[in-house]
Amino acid sequence: MKIAIIGGGPGGYTAAIRAAQLNAEVTLIEKERVGGTCLNKGCIPTKVLLHTSGVYQAAKNFESIGIKVTGTKLDWGEVQRRKTEVVNKQVKGVENLLINNNVKKISGEGSFINKNQIKVKESDGSQTIVDFDYGIIATGSKPVVIPIPGIDLPGVITSDEALNLTEIPRSMVIIGGGVIGSEFAEVFSAVGCKVTIVEMLPNIVANMDRDIVSTLVFKFENSGVEIYTDTKVVSISRTEEGLAVNTESAGKSRTFSAEKVLLAIGRKPVTDNLKLENAGVLTNKGTVAVNKNMQTNVSNIYAIGDARGGVMLAHAASSEGIAAVESIMGMKPNIDFNTIPYCVYTKPELAGVGLTEDQARDKGYDVKVGLFPMSINGKAMIEDEQQGLVKYITDNATGEVLGLHISGPGATELIVEGVLAVRLEATIEEITSTIHAHPTVAEALHEAAHAVHNKAIHLPK
Amino acid sequence: MAEFIVMPKMGLTMTKGLLTNWRKKEGDTVNKGDILFDVETDKLTNKIEAKTSGVLRKILVDKETVNILVPVAIIGTADEDISELLKEAKAEGSEKEEAQKKEAPQQEAPPAPVRKPGERVKISPRAKKTAEDLNVDYNLVPGTGPGGAITEDDIRKFAERPKAKVSPTAAVLAEQLGVDTAVIEKDTRIMKADVVKYKLDENLAKYASPQEYRQPMTNMRKIIAERMLVSVQTSPSVSFNIKVDTTGMKQLRDDLKDTFKVSYTDILVKIVSQVLLQYPLLNSSLDSEEILTRNYVNMGVAVALPEGLLVPVVRYANAKGLKDISREIKDLGERAKTNNLLPDELSGGTFTISNLGMYGIESFTPIINQPEVAILGVNAINKEPVVVDDQVLVKPMMNLSLTADHRVVDGAVAAEFLAKLKEYIEKPGLLLL
Repeated sequence: MKIAIIGGGPGGYTAAIRAAQLNAEVTLIEKERVGGTCLNKGCIPTKVLLHTSGVYQAAKNFESIGIKVTGTKLDWGEVQRRKTEVVNKQVKGVENLLINNNVKKISGEGSFINKNQIKVKESDGSQTIVDFDYGIIATGSKPVVIPIPGIDLPGVITSDEALNLTEIPRSMVIIGGGVIGSEFAEVFSAVGCKVTIVEMLPNIVANMDRDIVSTLVFKFENSGVEIYTDTKVVSISRTEEGLAVNTESAGKSRTFSAEKVLLAIGRKPVTDNLKLENAGVLTNKGTVAVNKNMQTNVSNIYAIGDARGGVMLAHAASSEGIAAVESIMGMKPNIDFNTIPYCVYTKPELAGVGLTEDQARDKGYDVKVGLFPMSINGKAMIEDEQQGLVKYITDNATGEVLGLHISGPGATELIVEGVLAVRLEATIEEITSTIHAHPTVAEALHEAAHAVHNKAIHLPK
Repeated sequence: MAEFIVMPKMGLTMTKGLLTNWRKKEGDTVNKGDILFDVETDKLTNKIEAKTSGVLRKILVDKETVNILVPVAIIGTADEDISELLKEAKAEGSEKEEAQKKEAPQQEAPPAPVRKPGERVKISPRAKKTAEDLNVDYNLVPGTGPGGAITEDDIRKFAERPKAKVSPTAAVLAEQLGVDTAVIEKDTRIMKADVVKYKLDENLAKYASPQEYRQPMTNMRKIIAERMLVSVQTSPSVSFNIKVDTTGMKQLRDDLKDTFKVSYTDILVKIVSQVLLQYPLLNSSLDSEEILTRNYVNMGVAVALPEGLLVPVVRYANAKGLKDISREIKDLGERAKTNNLLPDELSGGTFTISNLGMYGIESFTPIINQPEVAILGVNAINKEPVVVDDQVLVKPMMNLSLTADHRVVDGAVAAEFLAKLKEYIEKPGLLLL
C-alpha cells in the first residue's frame, strides 16, 4: 500500500506516522519545513512569546509574593532567539520521528498529475514523480488578506510577520479579535505596546462562551488594550507617525493610528497550486470537500486539517489524519468532533469544549449551568491568578454534561476533564462524585459541577 | 397415576399449535416412544411421541389450535379414576381460552434469536437446572453441544458474559424512557444515540402494532393451492401474448345488443371453441405417453368468488350457438356464486378462458388447469394509437395471454393458434363460414 501525503504539518506528519505504523509505504511531501503552521508559524512560536510575556507581567508583581526584583528588563532579541530554538528543536524532533518510522520525505512542492501520481518540484529544480495508491491532502492554510485600500502598505502584517518582529512596536492595531488576534494582543500589550483591537462581530473570541470571554475582556480593558467591536475596517492609510486604520461603526467613522497593523481575520485553505483538477478532486472556494472519513469525491484521495476547512486547529487536523489513514487501511475510525477543545493562551487562559450556553439553548436543551469563580479558589489565590471562571453546561433532563468552559490558571490543561466528560457522555453526577485533589485549581471545576444543583460548598447559599 | 399430555413447545417462537391428527384412539394402549398425534406449526407437521406408557383415557383436543402446554389428553392406567383431571382440564381450558383472548392483541416481540424461529431449543436437564439457578433465559443462549444443544457450560458462560458498558447519560435516558439497556445489541459502549434509536424503533413497532393472523385454509383454498402447485410442477409452460384489434368484435356486440345482449367473454368462448377445432393440440391432454385429442370443446370459464375461484364448464361449446353459450355462462356464473353447481359442471374441461380485462389488466401468465394443456388469459380493451397504412388511428386494442404446455404445444403451434384467433376476433364474420 503506497500512501502519499502532501503537507507535513500536524495533520500530515501524524497521518504519515500512523500509516507507517500500519505498514504502509509512506511518502511525505513538504515544500518548507515539517511541522507546518503549528510548529513554524503558529501554536508553538506564539506560545513561546506568550510564555515570556506572561512571566514578564508576573515579574512586575513579584514583590507581592515576596521576591524583590530590580532591573527587570525584556530582551526581545533573546526572546526571538529562544523562540527559534524551541521551534527548531520541535521540527528536528518531528524529522527524526519520520526517519524513525521509515517515512520517505521529499522536499518540494507537490501537484497532482492524475489520481495516482504526484509531481514534486524540488528546490534544486529537479522533479520527482510519486506514484501512490492513496493520497492525502494536508496542505494547511494561510492568513486571509482582505482587499481593502492600503492593505499593501509596509507595516501592515499578518501573524507570519508578527512572530518575527525584531523590535516591539510602540503601537499596534489588530484587525480581528479572534483567537489569533487576542493572543497577539496579549503578547504585545504585555511587553509595552499600545494595542487596539478592532472586531467586526459584537464580541471578541466569538466562538467561545461569552461569560468566559468576558473575563478576558475585563483583563484587556484593565491593562490598556482597547477593544472596538461591531466595527468594520474601511481602509488603511499612511500617516506621519505610521499607519491609520479607518473604520466605521453604526454609521460613524473613526480612525486608529498605530505603528503596525496586524491582520488577524482568519485563515483560508492552501490548495491553489495542487492542480486538484488533474485528479478530479472537487473544492468549494478552495476548501477540499470530504465525507466523514475525510474522503474526497475521488475515492483514493483524502483531505484533512485546514485544507478541508472545518475546525482549523492542529489537534483537529491530527485526529483527521489518523481517521483518514485508518479509513484507508480498512479500519473503522471514529472521530467525535464534539470533543475538540478550544484554547486561548492569554492571561487568564481560556478553554472550552462541547456546547456553549448559547449554543445549548439554541439547540433546545433545558440548560442548567454551574458557575464557580476563580477568585475564591485557594490555589488560584496562592498563584496570584484569581481572574477567571468555571462554567459547566448541562442538560437538565438527563444531567448530561454538554460543555465545560474555563478561564483561569491552567485552563487549557484542565479542560481535559470536560473533554472526557463529553466523550463519555458523563452526567454531572459523575463529576460531582469524582474526588478532586486539594488544593488545586481543579477544585473550581468540582465546585462548578456542584453549583449546577446549587450544592457548591464554597459558595453562599 | 393418570396425567395430562400437553401441547408441546417445539421452538423458540412457538406459542400455539394445531393438533391435526390423533394416531391413537381413546382406550388404546400407548408405549413410551409411540407416535401419539400430529401438530402443525407454520407449514410443518411434527409427530409427537408419548413420553410415558399407559392407556390413552381421554382425548381433550382434536383438530384444534391450542396454546402450548395446554392439556390435549389424559393418559393413565385402564381403570383409574380420572374425574379430577377432567374437571381440572375443563377449568384450565376455559382459563386458557380467556388468557388466549387477552394475549392475542399484544403479542410481544420475541427476544433476540440465536436460532431460527421455530427451531427447537435443545438443552440438557442439567443445563436447564443451571439456567434456573443463574436466572438465565436459556432461549437466548447459543448451544455448543452435540447438534447445537445447550450445555451447562454454555449457560455459565452466558451468565458471565461481559455486558456492554453504558454511558451515564445513556443510562439516565434509558431509565427515563423505560428502555432496558441489556437488550440493546452492541459490542461497544452504549451511548445516548443508541438508546434513542432503540426507543424510536420500539415506538414504531408499538405504533405499527404488527400482528399476524392464522386461520385454517378452506377446502376450496386447499384445492386451488394443491392444483396450482401440481400444475406448475407438471407443465413446462410458455406464455405468449398477441395484440388484437377488437373493433369487429365490438361491432358484433353492438349489432346484437337490441336482439340479445352478449358479453365479450361469450363471443370469445364461441370464437375460441371454433378455432380450437382447427388446432386440436391446444385442446388436448397428455395421458402417460399418449396425446388425447378431441373433436369437441368443453370450455372452462373461470369465475372469481370471494373465497377462491371456480371453473364451470360449457360442455360442447363448439356445437352451441352464441345465445346458448351466453345463457349458459350466465347461469353457471350465478350458480357458482350461490354454491349451486353440480360436480359434473366443474369437470371435463378441455380448455379454459380466464378474463381479467374488467380489472384493467393488460397481460398475465395464467396457470394451466390440469389435465388441460393450455389456457387463454383475456385482458382489458384500451383505446390505443395504431399505425394503419402509415396513418395513426385510434383503435380499441386488447392483449391475449396464452399459456401452453410445451410438452404438447410447441411455440410455432401456439403462435399459429393465436394468429388465427386474432383473425377471427378481428373478422368475426368468419364464424359464418
